Amino acid sequence: MMDELELLKKDWQKKDELMPKLSYDEIHKMTWKKSSSIVKWILIISILEFTLPHLLYILPSSRDVLSVYQNNSMSPYFVAMSIFSYSIALYFIFQFYRRYREISVLDNSKNLMRKIIKTRRTVKNYIIFSLSMVLVMVIVIVIGIYLNNDFLSDLDFGEKAKDVSPEKLKLSLMMAVGIVGVLLTFAMGVIYFLLYGLLLRKLKKNYTELRRLEV
Amino acid sequence: MNKELEHQFVTELENNQNIVHKVCSLYTNDRDSHNDLFQEITIQLWKAYPKFRGDSKFSTWMYRVALNTAITLYRKSKKRIRTQDYESVIFKIKADEYDETQEQQLKLMYKAVKQLGDIDKALVFLYLEDKNYGEIAETLGITEVNARVKMNRIKTKLRTILNP
Repeated sequence: MMDELELLKKDWQKKDELMPKLSYDEIHKMTWKKSSSIVKWILIISILEFTLPHLLYILPSSRDVLSVYQNNSMSPYFVAMSIFSYSIALYFIFQFYRRYREISVLDNSKNLMRKIIKTRRTVKNYIIFSLSMVLVMVIVIVIGIYLNNDFLSDLDFGEKAKDVSPEKLKLSLMMAVGIVGVLLTFAMGVIYFLLYGLLLRKLKKNYTELRRLEV
Repeated sequence: MNKELEHQFVTELENNQNIVHKVCSLYTNDRDSHNDLFQEITIQLWKAYPKFRGDSKFSTWMYRVALNTAITLYRKSKKRIRTQDYESVIFKIKADEYDETQEQQLKLMYKAVKQLGDIDKALVFLYLEDKNYGEIAETLGITEVNARVKMNRIKTKLRTILNP
């Protein structure tokens, strides 16, 4: 085997002449192309994850639900919860930015992989946090509907709802909000873990292999 | 980034491009992927270039960035169709330099190397590039002892692939 590897090594050193040759201009053009590395993807996905949930508030339908809360006794809790979740989000963004900046292609392979995984873990924790917040929010809204009797007048259901009894309307509203909320949270979780699972499969495999060596 | 730096970088890379091509030929199976990986490595090299102080050789510095990109940063695109007519440069052997058995042996060896995992390939690559175990260990972030152990395991692995 030794001899074969030595033979291979000798041949390898001669391979230079057989390699493709790119011109100065071709290489120059490449320096202006955009990277498509996984670090870039993690950054893009993370920015989306940090911003998308907040864009939800712009949707008219969710604004309606929110206005119910702003109009009644739940309002202070809602404001407190918003402040709480925003400050946590800011903390995560800061943490993410710091870890992201630490990623350097000049590190050795093991460190590079470790830092990428650490950065991703920040986003993962953020996702777990915000998904739990969404669930808490859903529960609060459902309880809110249950406890309040005068909110139905705040919502305009139109002519069709006139024949339905208020209890029934309340119950179906609670069910609808609850089910949609839980399903949405669940779907977001699945999409998220699939996305990252696929993106980082190779990296994780290689990192495990390097780490196993140290045992 | 200024024009002079850019010119300096492109010239250095043009002169040392073989290193990158060799990495690409080890880690990809078709021409499109080869070029794709080459481009990504170029982008990573260029991004990191301002930090290159010239305290080591440009080529030494390239090994690390190129391998890190291939092993860690590069995302293989699955859409690519394997082009039939394309023979990876790694299998090209100057036939006139060897007798038939040697040539056959070399082809089998290259094939076996291509079947190795990402990390194993990196070790073999650095070994073939005549790097010592200290350098190999430093590039990958493992100890020198472990680099030796790993290389011995790879040799065994290659032997099994060659003589099943």
